[in-house]
Amino acid sequence: MSQTEPIKVGILYSETGVTSGIESSQLLGTLFAIEEINQSGGINGREITPVRYDPQSDPTRYRALAERLVSIDNVKVIFGCYMSNTRKAVIPVVERWNRILFYATLYEGFEFSNNLIYTGAAPNQNSVQLADFMMATFGARVYLVGSDYIYPYESNRIMTDLVMQRQGGETLGKRYVPLDATERDFTKVIADIKEQQPDFIFSTVVGDSTKYFYRAYAEAGLDPKKIPIASLTTCEVEVAQMGASVAAGHFTSSPYFQSIDSPANHACLAKFRSHFGEQAEPNASWEAAYFQVHLFANAMRAAGSDDIDALMPELLGAEFLAPQGRVRVEPSNHHTCLYPRIGRANAKGQFTIVRESTRAVSPDPYLVTHSLGDWTLALNSLEA
Amino acid sequence: MDKGRKHASPSAPSFRAIPQILKDLRSLRVCVFHPHDQDGEGLTRQLERIGCQVQAFWPPLPEPPDGTDLVFIAINPNMINHDFAWCDGEEAPPVIAVVTYENPTIIEAVLRIGAKGVVASPVRSFGLLSALVLARELTIDLKGQRKRIARLEAKLSGIRVITEAQEILCFQRRITKDDAYRLIRDQAMSKRVTTEEIASSIINANEILSYKN
Repeated sequence: MSQTEPIKVGILYSETGVTSGIESSQLLGTLFAIEEINQSGGINGREITPVRYDPQSDPTRYRALAERLVSIDNVKVIFGCYMSNTRKAVIPVVERWNRILFYATLYEGFEFSNNLIYTGAAPNQNSVQLADFMMATFGARVYLVGSDYIYPYESNRIMTDLVMQRQGGETLGKRYVPLDATERDFTKVIADIKEQQPDFIFSTVVGDSTKYFYRAYAEAGLDPKKIPIASLTTCEVEVAQMGASVAAGHFTSSPYFQSIDSPANHACLAKFRSHFGEQAEPNASWEAAYFQVHLFANAMRAAGSDDIDALMPELLGAEFLAPQGRVRVEPSNHHTCLYPRIGRANAKGQFTIVRESTRAVSPDPYLVTHSLGDWTLALNSLEA
Repeated sequence: MDKGRKHASPSAPSFRAIPQILKDLRSLRVCVFHPHDQDGEGLTRQLERIGCQVQAFWPPLPEPPDGTDLVFIAINPNMINHDFAWCDGEEAPPVIAVVTYENPTIIEAVLRIGAKGVVASPVRSFGLLSALVLARELTIDLKGQRKRIARLEAKLSGIRVITEAQEILCFQRRITKDDAYRLIRDQAMSKRVTTEEIASSIINANEILSYKN
């Protein structure tokens, strides 16, 4: 094969369907990185050509399109997936054909595959931090609201476990809504929250229905200063969808916020806007989708091939100066060392970062029992 | 996915405390008897990812190290006649067999070592945690049931002895069954022994006293 031929990579992010908002941002993060790499000479002179399909937030389509990418388009590397059920649909394909999937989304842990690189947060990199912050600031009586699928179930289990570790810790209620929930699905939930008066709400509502939940909360006249919503998935995209005034005062735990005040982040954001304008709100999943393409490109430069056997040794232990800080792929579990942060949504639709880890936290995807306190010292308070 | 619109349900999975068996994973001592090949390495690595304390040996030791909580054994065709005698012990740690073949010869070997779980070779990361937890749970259940059965058997034979003693007393003393039982119980209390012991003394005495040449 000629060494100037373009390198085809597969991209599977939903541009339609219930998670299209967030996945479209991941798509743009990916395309942005590819453009950046191509403009600086590609990979050893070879251009990256994305082959992309819209799986429409549907696991069945994910599987079929992953099959198509490897068997017809013959790509060796796929970037994509958001919801866990879509990742589970693609894993058998990449394992059977021995390809690589880069997964740029926080998820509930308890997974490892030789064919995956995970660049989003594992629960020990976001849930523990969020639980500790919320309980220390507001109290330990929590109300759980989530979309009806596996990620909320497991996240709620972890949250319940953490809440029970604290004196007076209590789960006052838990509600699951359909993935395509609209405002009326939340009416009863909000009424119950009003009655129960928890110290905070833990929301694992994902996708486009997130805005309906926060809006229903605002319309009911609840006060984020008294009963804030804490989330791992409500990022800048969802905030833009619901409106800054609706989101203001609620909290999110994430390794990346657009508001990170570092030269690397400022430069990256400026460049992204000059290429893509206001097409997407940069957020944690966008950032992971962005830096994982660079991790791939660097590894392929060193390996000279996009075959998994050549690429994987270069990926494991690889580091990259991402907008969130210097990240590293942990060789033992293929997840990534990241920087936990807590942000409070502000009036401008951005997050004011109130807590920040000074060091990258190693991923521990198989941790069953999380404990409070063992990381707190590492998080700096940024509040005046 | 269910396309039907459901209203917020209060109950999708209920929250129970995390079972101790899952909390114990990080202190679990796992012994792996598997050749040091790619498969064995993959198995050991995944166990380490889960957070277990892993020791791997090949060829297998005469028995697993003291304090081992769980053992993985590769059942491969050239090890088919290896005698894993320790597996028969009542206190033996649970065994999960790693099998490359699924023919009756191999399955017979799996049964012989009393495996509580099987993982297929090549070993995939996915499924190992479930196999491990299930094998431990089964073993703990089994131990509990064995104890319970032993207790019930003792109790049952005790009841038989007491019934026999009651019958002897009824016949010898011409008293009711209830009075016979009261007599046995009073004797047991005053001598500070169990009713079963008094009952067997009565039976023994009766055998001796009614001995006819």
